[in-house]
Amino acid sequence: MIAVDGLTKLYGDFAAVSDLSFVVHPGEVLGLVGPNGAGKTTTLRCLAGIIPATRGKVTIDGYNIAEEPLLAKQAVSFFSDEPRLFDYLTVRQHLEFTARLYHVADAKERGKKLLEELDMADKADLLSSELSRGMKQKVALACGFLHEPRVMFFDEPLTGLDPLAIRRTKELIISQARDRGVAIIISSHLLHLLEELCSHVLIVKRGTKAAHGTLADIRAAHEGADLEEIFVRIVGEDAGK
Amino acid sequence: MSALGYLLSRSLANSVTHRIKRLRQPKYLIGAVLAGVYIYFYFYKFLFAAGQNNRLVLPPEEEAMWRHLGSAILFAATIALAWILPSSRAAITFTEAEIAFLFPAPVTRRTLIIFKLLRSQLAVLLMAVLFTFITGRWRNGIDAWTRTGSWWIILNTLTLHRIGASFALSRLHERGLADWKRRLAFLLAVAGLAFLVWHTWRSLPPMPAPQNMQKGATGTLYTNRIFQTGALPWILAPFRLVIAPYFAHGTAQFLATLPAALGILLAHFIWVVRADASFEDAAIETAKRRSVLLAAARKGEARLSQTNGKARVPLFRLRPKGFKATAFLWKSLIRMGGRRTLSRWTMFFLALAGGAFWLTQQKMSNPSPGLIGIAVAIGGACYLALLLSFIMVGQQAAGQLRQGIAGMDLLKTYPLPGWQFALGELLGPILIGTLIQWAAIGIVTTLAFSFVGKHEEGFNTIGLSIIGAVAVFLPLFNLGTSILPGAAALAFPGWFKSTEPGAAGQGGLEVMGLRLLLGISQLLLIAISFLPVAFFGAAAWFASGLFTTVFVWKVAATALTAGFVLALEAACGIAWLGWLYDRFDISSE
Repeated sequence: MIAVDGLTKLYGDFAAVSDLSFVVHPGEVLGLVGPNGAGKTTTLRCLAGIIPATRGKVTIDGYNIAEEPLLAKQAVSFFSDEPRLFDYLTVRQHLEFTARLYHVADAKERGKKLLEELDMADKADLLSSELSRGMKQKVALACGFLHEPRVMFFDEPLTGLDPLAIRRTKELIISQARDRGVAIIISSHLLHLLEELCSHVLIVKRGTKAAHGTLADIRAAHEGADLEEIFVRIVGEDAGK
Repeated sequence: MSALGYLLSRSLANSVTHRIKRLRQPKYLIGAVLAGVYIYFYFYKFLFAAGQNNRLVLPPEEEAMWRHLGSAILFAATIALAWILPSSRAAITFTEAEIAFLFPAPVTRRTLIIFKLLRSQLAVLLMAVLFTFITGRWRNGIDAWTRTGSWWIILNTLTLHRIGASFALSRLHERGLADWKRRLAFLLAVAGLAFLVWHTWRSLPPMPAPQNMQKGATGTLYTNRIFQTGALPWILAPFRLVIAPYFAHGTAQFLATLPAALGILLAHFIWVVRADASFEDAAIETAKRRSVLLAAARKGEARLSQTNGKARVPLFRLRPKGFKATAFLWKSLIRMGGRRTLSRWTMFFLALAGGAFWLTQQKMSNPSPGLIGIAVAIGGACYLALLLSFIMVGQQAAGQLRQGIAGMDLLKTYPLPGWQFALGELLGPILIGTLIQWAAIGIVTTLAFSFVGKHEEGFNTIGLSIIGAVAVFLPLFNLGTSILPGAAALAFPGWFKSTEPGAAGQGGLEVMGLRLLLGISQLLLIAISFLPVAFFGAAAWFASGLFTTVFVWKVAATALTAGFVLALEAACGIAWLGWLYDRFDISSE
């Protein structure tokens, strides 16, 4: 479970995120939506413990990330918009390294299975610098799934993937929430993707919460409009900046 | 920590294996051999010719005293800079991959810091060995390994202090202490230091007479006395302790000085790893900036720092109609900084010209040392500007063209021949470079006239004619020298660009050798291309001698002929460059 209470992140006097509060229960998928510069990536980074929040409390899987970061992070996977891998590690070594970081007991079997699912089994011994962007994305996904996290954060997860990989990734994300009860937050500009994957939506504008609720509730509040229309109505002049 | 150990060991092993494997490619093999030969000969004088060059003419004890004292002051100043001018908020840096994998992982800040310190050890050790080679000539009968150890302690102490200072400043910043308060604290510290110096000064014996000071020993003794009086020895003591192993005579003395130096190093280590400063935000920012710079470098852009994000004002208004190459000249001038670059150079040269003009108004029959000093300073600044302009023209021109290769898929869609693109891109650096060169030469000429021209018969005529010829020749020279690097990048793209994406292709001895090889080849080609210019220029000099004995006319004939040949070569070069662009196969990259 992810519980956020009054999250604020300041850069000097500028508030990138301001007093954000929400909860994502196990099995829920929350779509984080907002125009460019609304504070989506900063929010995700604060939730994943990558950067410290200025104020507020973030609880991951029952642990306060500021006070018990190691226990909280053990349950987390963070997928950034750009896959960033180590130049001198092979695909297999990336999995071995991740397994060691999170102490994954049956990493070999899990890693093998993940690589097969992502069509990367034959690339296991290639250096990351020899991979295409889409392949790197798949390696990042495999590493993130390896320790079976209970909380996942995705920042534009489908960028650079081919149609088949997009389909498989979507299935993977849905199955993680449905079958394993993972609490997931996805930040994306692809609103049709969010409509397909998410049970809840949080729209942020200039670092603050502009709308939050289940997809059905938000639609009902906007006379059944689709997410794109709702986004334009709420974000207004900030859209497209 | 074991995961991080795994990362370090596997990365190192894979990197070595990868670099050995790529030696199967001839270009890397040749590069490695060349770099090996270069390094051998570069360090030869340091390894085997110790003590033959650059020695101060002082007795050994005095020389040792000066070196020890100077090094302690330099070390103290470097440490002080970490507080006054912190390079960035994050003195500890991470790659984007490290941030992506390690920051969200269950790893403590302390472990991350230790990991980074361990990771830097290989580089520190290599640096220590390098410094040992370079400073080997001042070896005091001490073994190389002890010298390397001393350097290792000094470099690590400096690194740790820089990190510790950045953490402390970051914590002050987080706690709401504005920068002006830190600066106030620094000013108070400086005032305290000034008081200590003043106090020491007051307690010193009277200064010896200047004529005695110049005899060396008296001056040395007096300086030594200064640093043994008042609070100064106490202030310098920790710095002297860190560098003491470096100045030890023999192994026994080295071992005796080691505990104190290691103690200070250990204290720094504890200070850094126990600091609970948040470095994540700054590390992400720095990694992003480095990644942009790296991407620019891979594209062939010689960008040394990131732009400040402000729009640059173009030097002229680009009309929608006209010669298409002008659009590339306009763009290239914006890339070089636009109006801001030109106004900075203008201010610089106006200041120098003002100084030079003032000098021309002084009596120069018997100039005072002060006037000579000002003239040397102005001349030196012009010389540096001239040197910088030649480097800048070559680098910027090559960078513009290589960037063009990176964006070739877009360029190929433009409705213009390749030679116009090449000419437009090259003209920007050439224009700025030539303006700098003309300004520098003009000021130096003014200076020369004020010192020599007023007294030497015929100097003005001879000097002016030569300088005029050089000034006319310079733009063509700049054009000629800037064509070849770009043409080589187009003709042999595989040699200019690593075949591997990512940082894997960027480093290594073999890449260094490859760059050396390319640099030497370009210089050689430039030299060859100037042979016809020199030949026809010399022919014009002698031929004009048959018709006239007036020096000015002879110089003019030579300059015009050489300039014409160079212009012809440059036109052919631009046409060739355009041809290479038009025929360049993007898929071969």
